[in-house]
Amino acid sequence: MNQDQEIISRYIGQPARLPTELRARIEREWGNQPVQLYALADLDHGLRLHESWLALGPRHVALARPAGNGVWNVHSVERAHIQAVQESPGLSANALLLLGVPDDPPLAVVRYTQRQRGAFENIRFVLDEALEGRAVEPTDPDRVYADAVARPVRDAQALVAGRQSAVILRLLRYLTRYRRELTLGLTAAAVVTLASLVPPYLAGYLIDDVVRKANEGTMARGAAATIAWIAVGAMAALYVLRQIAAHVRLRLMSVIGEWVARDLRAELYEHIQHLSLSFFSRKKTGSLITRVTSDTDRLWDFVAFGVVDVSLSLVMLLGLGVVLLSLDWRLGLVMTLPVPLFCWMIYRHGESLNSRFIRAWRKWSRVTDVLSDTIPGIRVVKAFNQESREIERFSERNEDCTDEANEIHKMWTTFWPLLMLAVHSTTVMVWIFAMPRLLGEGSPLSAGVFVSFLLYTTMFVGPIEIIGQMARTINRATSSAHRVFEVLDSEPEVRDVPEPVRLTPVRGGVTFENVTFAYDGVRQILRGISFDVRAGELIGLVGPSGGGKSTVVNLVARFYDATGGTVRVDGVDIRQLDTGHYRQQLGMVLQDPYLFHGTVLENIRYGMQTASLSAVVAAAKAANAHDFICKLGQGYDTVVGERGHTLSGGERQRISIARAILHDPRILILDEATSSVDTETEREIQEALERLIAGRTVFAIAHRLSTLRRASRLFVIEEGRLAESGTHRELLARPNGMYRRLYEMQLQLQ
Amino acid sequence: MAQSLELEGETTQLELKGAGDGRLFAIVDGVAVPVRLRQCFPWSEPHRHLSLRDEDDEEVALVEDPATLGEESRRAIEHALAEAGFVLQVMRVVSIEEEVEIRQWKVETRHGPRSFQTHLDDWPRVLPMGGLLIRDVGGDLYLLAAPGEMDRRSKELLWAFVD
Repeated sequence: MNQDQEIISRYIGQPARLPTELRARIEREWGNQPVQLYALADLDHGLRLHESWLALGPRHVALARPAGNGVWNVHSVERAHIQAVQESPGLSANALLLLGVPDDPPLAVVRYTQRQRGAFENIRFVLDEALEGRAVEPTDPDRVYADAVARPVRDAQALVAGRQSAVILRLLRYLTRYRRELTLGLTAAAVVTLASLVPPYLAGYLIDDVVRKANEGTMARGAAATIAWIAVGAMAALYVLRQIAAHVRLRLMSVIGEWVARDLRAELYEHIQHLSLSFFSRKKTGSLITRVTSDTDRLWDFVAFGVVDVSLSLVMLLGLGVVLLSLDWRLGLVMTLPVPLFCWMIYRHGESLNSRFIRAWRKWSRVTDVLSDTIPGIRVVKAFNQESREIERFSERNEDCTDEANEIHKMWTTFWPLLMLAVHSTTVMVWIFAMPRLLGEGSPLSAGVFVSFLLYTTMFVGPIEIIGQMARTINRATSSAHRVFEVLDSEPEVRDVPEPVRLTPVRGGVTFENVTFAYDGVRQILRGISFDVRAGELIGLVGPSGGGKSTVVNLVARFYDATGGTVRVDGVDIRQLDTGHYRQQLGMVLQDPYLFHGTVLENIRYGMQTASLSAVVAAAKAANAHDFICKLGQGYDTVVGERGHTLSGGERQRISIARAILHDPRILILDEATSSVDTETEREIQEALERLIAGRTVFAIAHRLSTLRRASRLFVIEEGRLAESGTHRELLARPNGMYRRLYEMQLQLQ
Repeated sequence: MAQSLELEGETTQLELKGAGDGRLFAIVDGVAVPVRLRQCFPWSEPHRHLSLRDEDDEEVALVEDPATLGEESRRAIEHALAEAGFVLQVMRVVSIEEEVEIRQWKVETRHGPRSFQTHLDDWPRVLPMGGLLIRDVGGDLYLLAAPGEMDRRSKELLWAFVD
């Protein structure tokens, strides 16, 4: 069972694949032709939840509905009879209609919720393509179905939450590399625990066996004094030893915790750097940052204190129970019997607080919603004179949130004193049971044993508190560990072969051989594109939005691998190349240039750290950036702020061009590099780009077609296909060409 | 006022036909044009302001009030509305569990049992007409028309999500 099928079984509660016997029956009815795709229609005609299947084969479509007792009614339709496919989307119910002859009833109608929509869209895509005369033949229906159904859950949570014990064990494995320090830390913790148990015993011994005997005259006063002073000295030594052990334990465990957190952060960050772009499109930046920071910090807390505290508290409670019962089993029972009840009370308190916390979290979200709405949108608030309304909205939610927080405070401030009262009640019970015996009624109880008892009872509170909160501590740590392991377990989709080829140098020839690409394996973004670009050519990529231009350059940069066909660089399959080495010879200038927090110099040198300052200035001059950089307060050493926010769009763009010039790539990708700047800035950037592109292979995407007049060739990409190619002049000469149409439309707009 | 369809300056009475298989047709110049129904205000005014759109998602007509349509047209639009406005109606909440990044819900709906997932920071939305609306990670909508009238266990589970 693959991960998607596991997600479907565990979370979604529907079959993880088409039932085997049904699939076999459909394939038999089709003359042993394979099922290529299938989807679950989970609504019937009356919109009740229900299980039907739509299966697609090379020549047929079959609709299977249950007829009871595990029997299926299968109705097959020949694909040759399908003339149109129609989807009616609703709020939660969608319908897919396979239409035959116009005015005749549909060949098949299926209804399904949004959950199944991806799987039905795959079927619809293949049928639509077939109606256009293009064959798409998917080969792994189980994988495609599972991917489509599980994707929303997988995107939200990429792993099936494992057993807590397995996650904790995996986390604890990070401790093994610090075995020596860990052993020392745990030993110190054990010494702290054991040392805590001795003083009450010593106190009892002194009272019964030394003080009492000395008072009764059965022990010489001198001998008694010597023993007493030795005992007091031993007690003092024990306290010193205990605190030394506590110091060692705290010091070592917090350091080990930091080391583990550091290791996790480093492993996580390194892994993130190697993950494919598709991973980043699924995960929010904030969520990834949280995993590297807050989650690893929480794990530090767990490793440093949680593990030891929980295990030692268990040992301590057990030890106390044994000592108390062995000192006096009757009083021992009075003291130990309520302990499980106290632990349970703390657990229940935590559970009821949990609901409160969710409620408070929801109300806190309402407060932050107002902030994240109105602070970025403050101009609109002011323009519409809505300040009073927004203040009122915020105040109301703020008040609501405060009330909820106060409810939580009311709960815990009531609970803990009550719990302590219950603990002290057991002490009172010990007094009640002990008093008659101390006064000589019933079985005798010595004053020393009783004092030891009282001292031991004070030691119960801490471990009870820790054990009661153990579930919460472990839950929090497991959640954080899950989030960290989710990233660590994500595999990069683009990987190098074992012995990759290094092109030294890359000349810049790029060939696409019948390249297809689909993010989900079925719906193709590129549909059989072929072209051959010679080294040094400037290729303009034009066409409507969503046509596949960006996907072409993403494949050239090997951010993704083609699903079908081959991309070659200088004749070598791009999948055989050493990706890191190849990308060193590739440059990109994007529509929204990204500058890192740091100086202008650091940003220009980003791709070539060793470049000389003269080379940096030369690159900046070539990028028309030198003049404005010199006007900045601290020249090239000016800090540009996060994402370069202190600079204008045109300035950021020119710095990114300088960065690309210094990097000196053999293949350059320009993605709408001049689209977001004014005309004067565009002219300066255009000049800079012309210097940049000289002698390199360039793929330039631009909506303003006039900027691509100098291109060696233009590729018009439409609906994933290479619709036209040629020079600007050649394409304009085509009377009904798409490029000509787009060009004339833009001229009219100007 | 009867609904009308404006076509190049002429105003004609809107006529709708249901095919009985989920399809809805608007009769334009005597020709049956297949249309899909979209509610302009699915929660504020679910039964009025219904946009009828063709295959290219262009509006063919806007029905402000189906009551003004002819009998057959009204029946056809009501049928289409039941399908287009369908959401899963939750009758009982069986369990709500939090995992690492998702909240896992098990519910009984009017249409059968269902499990679904929401993001941890996605909260049920309070609807203008009352009730709660939950959107799961796959985009399905779940309506809790009257959370206050559900069974005790459901109310306990929902307590953290309802004011």
